[in-house]
Amino acid sequence: METLNLAHLHLLLNHLPTIGFGVGLALYIVAFFAKNDHLKKAGLVIFFLVAVMAIPTYVTGSAAERVLCPELKCPADISVDTIRNHEDAALFAFLLMEITGFFSWLGLWQMRRSPLASWNWNVVLLLGVITFGLMALAANEGGEIRHPEIRAASTTTAPAEPAAEGEASVGIARSIGAAVAGNTGIGWLWPAAEAVHFVGLCMLFAVVLAVDLRILGMAKGLSFQSLYQLLPFGMLGFILNLTTGMMFFIAAPGQYTNNVEFHRKLIFILLAGVNVLYFMLIDEPWEIGPDDNAPFRAKAVAAITIFIWLGILYYGHMLPFLGNAF
Amino acid sequence: MEFLHWLENTGFSIWVRESPSIWAFPVILLVHTIGMALCVGVSAGIDLRILGFAPSLKLAPFERYFPILWLGFTMNAVTGTILVMQDASAKLTNVDFYVKMVFIALALINLKMLRTRVFRDPQIDRGPFPGSVKVLAALSLFFWLGAITAGRLLAYVGSIGGLS
Repeated sequence: METLNLAHLHLLLNHLPTIGFGVGLALYIVAFFAKNDHLKKAGLVIFFLVAVMAIPTYVTGSAAERVLCPELKCPADISVDTIRNHEDAALFAFLLMEITGFFSWLGLWQMRRSPLASWNWNVVLLLGVITFGLMALAANEGGEIRHPEIRAASTTTAPAEPAAEGEASVGIARSIGAAVAGNTGIGWLWPAAEAVHFVGLCMLFAVVLAVDLRILGMAKGLSFQSLYQLLPFGMLGFILNLTTGMMFFIAAPGQYTNNVEFHRKLIFILLAGVNVLYFMLIDEPWEIGPDDNAPFRAKAVAAITIFIWLGILYYGHMLPFLGNAF
Repeated sequence: MEFLHWLENTGFSIWVRESPSIWAFPVILLVHTIGMALCVGVSAGIDLRILGFAPSLKLAPFERYFPILWLGFTMNAVTGTILVMQDASAKLTNVDFYVKMVFIALALINLKMLRTRVFRDPQIDRGPFPGSVKVLAALSLFFWLGAITAGRLLAYVGSIGGLS
């Protein structure tokens, strides 16, 4: 028996999006009314990082289900319906969380160039409040899976009768997954998502290469400040890949939850999330003007950035070869 | 057809296709993907700049990135040839494969024209580009998009080799 399985990891991670996001939201609301730009920035950074952390939180949830209910058969004291409810609530919360994370990132990106447009402040506040609500719902549904004390408090009637054989609920997440997997007759959805995943990859690398090869000294005529304008395009590529990647995951979670290459890919994505903040929050790369030689540390970070993205590509590529996908 | 069967049954083709080594099919396909990222990545960066993204970004220094683009292209020409060879009778009779080749040929011709029109122009970083250059840049994105999509679909349409 492993000392730490993925269900443990889900329990460790799953408090982060709720509590971490709550802290971020509290900071942000105070900053919003006190009109304090430093606090706002801190709130945006927390939102962005929590959104990145939400990716492993969501996927370890599917892994936890497999630990609780091997072969999709749950023991008597665990309700499949409760798991489905939690999964669906978590999917919506995750979706909103990623949208909030994107607008927070966009806010940080804008702030570096000029004072942030007020529409973005309001959008992030609104999204943040909605996300927090959805996250709390998902957390509550999740708690009911293994905490009878919560269940007892929330249900006034006698314990629900177990669903009759063959009436197991499917849930929204599973329905979407089945469609992506081609089980509902839309056979082109998975291949189309694959094509988009590769296009997103090229968009990401377009920006990663242009920025980091410049810092390493390749096209010195470019200033960092001018290259910085390209960042949202790379982020767009990442969003395409997160969306299509999650489609694959929901369609066939079993291919990924126990796939070590997938775990490594996720760890590298977390690293990439922290890494991008270097270019946005630290002044060092900003001092690289046209024809300047970048300082050693900036070069080191640029090399690490290329390494991280090649790592993500490598682990994704090796999913079927070293891991068990397909 | 006989030639295609011979091609996919050479010792090298069999090794690529059937060796359990990670250095056979998996790494060759990996290099093909990285090559795509380098080649299309650099090309897309230039196209977007021409189309008006990041207007204060100077385009002239981007010429330094062309060796990276060609490195990626060479990686893909070599690995692509190997990948076709090890599955010749399926790939070379698959219409989708020729669709991909046409897109790549168009993308290359387009790239050549863009390079002459844009990077040989001493006025490169003065003012917006004329419409005809922007059309070339948009076409370039379209051709690469077509090549990637057709390439990805090779795993799904026609008789499928390699992974199966």
